[in-house]
Amino acid sequence: MAERPDSATRPEVGAAPDVPAADEILAGLVSAAANGDEPAWAELVRRYAPLVLSVIRAHRLNRTDAADVNQTVWLRLVEHLGRVREPAALATWLATTTRRECYRLVRIGRRTQPFDPLDDAVEATIGALLPQDPSAPDENLLRAERRQALRDGFGQLPARCRELLSLLVSDPPASYREIAERLGMPIGSIGPSQARCLRKLRNSPALAAFVGASPDAEGSGGDRDGAVAAGR
Amino acid sequence: MGLWPPADDDGLLSELGAALRDSGPPPEEFLAAGYAALTWRTVDAELAIAELTFDSACDPEPAGLTRSTGSTRALAFHAGPVVVAIEVTATGIVGQLSPARGGRVVARTPHGPYEEVAVDPVGFFSLGPPPSGPVQLHALTSDYAVATSWVPLG
Repeated sequence: MAERPDSATRPEVGAAPDVPAADEILAGLVSAAANGDEPAWAELVRRYAPLVLSVIRAHRLNRTDAADVNQTVWLRLVEHLGRVREPAALATWLATTTRRECYRLVRIGRRTQPFDPLDDAVEATIGALLPQDPSAPDENLLRAERRQALRDGFGQLPARCRELLSLLVSDPPASYREIAERLGMPIGSIGPSQARCLRKLRNSPALAAFVGASPDAEGSGGDRDGAVAAGR
Repeated sequence: MGLWPPADDDGLLSELGAALRDSGPPPEEFLAAGYAALTWRTVDAELAIAELTFDSACDPEPAGLTRSTGSTRALAFHAGPVVVAIEVTATGIVGQLSPARGGRVVARTPHGPYEEVAVDPVGFFSLGPPPSGPVQLHALTSDYAVATSWVPLG
């Protein structure tokens, strides 16, 4: 990650003049949504809903509380749109707001059972998104299993690691400066923390079944079946 | 396909990002709640937002400033010089506007207004127990009109 762009040091506008940079597109969406443009707003929601949900998941709220936090965060963003001065900081703002609202509900103490969008209760909702077509190529199935293992392993990480990694993989990515402010850590410790968290992820039980599997054995069926059993 | 999980951190991070992004698309109801939130923008356009500045449920209490007890939740919202302070108990909400002005308070959920009450001349008002989910209060007086930040109270 040594080459990761860091907006703390790079120029504000680096793209060619006739090609809108990701930041400019985002600024356009924010500005249009602030003026009531529904498609622009919907695009913002689609872009950032996974980030909001990943923070909610990290707090293991029950489904009602999770829905309340989600709704509150979007209502707050609508109020906040007109004051977004730096669209690139939107991901950080959303992550911070979501975390604060999760904390509020945890403190109010309405928790009953953890919310996991991947559990049986909501399988009907998202089941259609998992490749269950028996005729689907094995490669898709394998990829889905690996991604599930990554999500499972991610869910087993300490909250701090989940927050850091969520910000590092957010799209558009949060800058090191934003991450440092958001997590209250020096910029210089982000790299080492990232390495430590990824090591934990690699060593998590969910991924253990895959680690050390010989690439040559892939496709033979045996290792993959073992991985399927262990990864779920 | 090569070794998996990727031996290098960049590769692993990139796969993790892809996994989290396709972790299934947020349940449809979550997206729907997000899309619907925009309808509140125009409703609130003429109102100043009173930001949530204190919630005894999760903020350390400033010494001597609140009267809240274990079963009372106290919240404060600020919009410039205007303060909306409320206390939430099992029996309902009592609140006070500052500067003290008579007027009315409309309590809303994202589905619309659910209760409207008068504010007495010294700024006090009371509402029934809040419904679950985020709630917003519109405080309308002759001198100012504010909307509190959305926050779950129930």
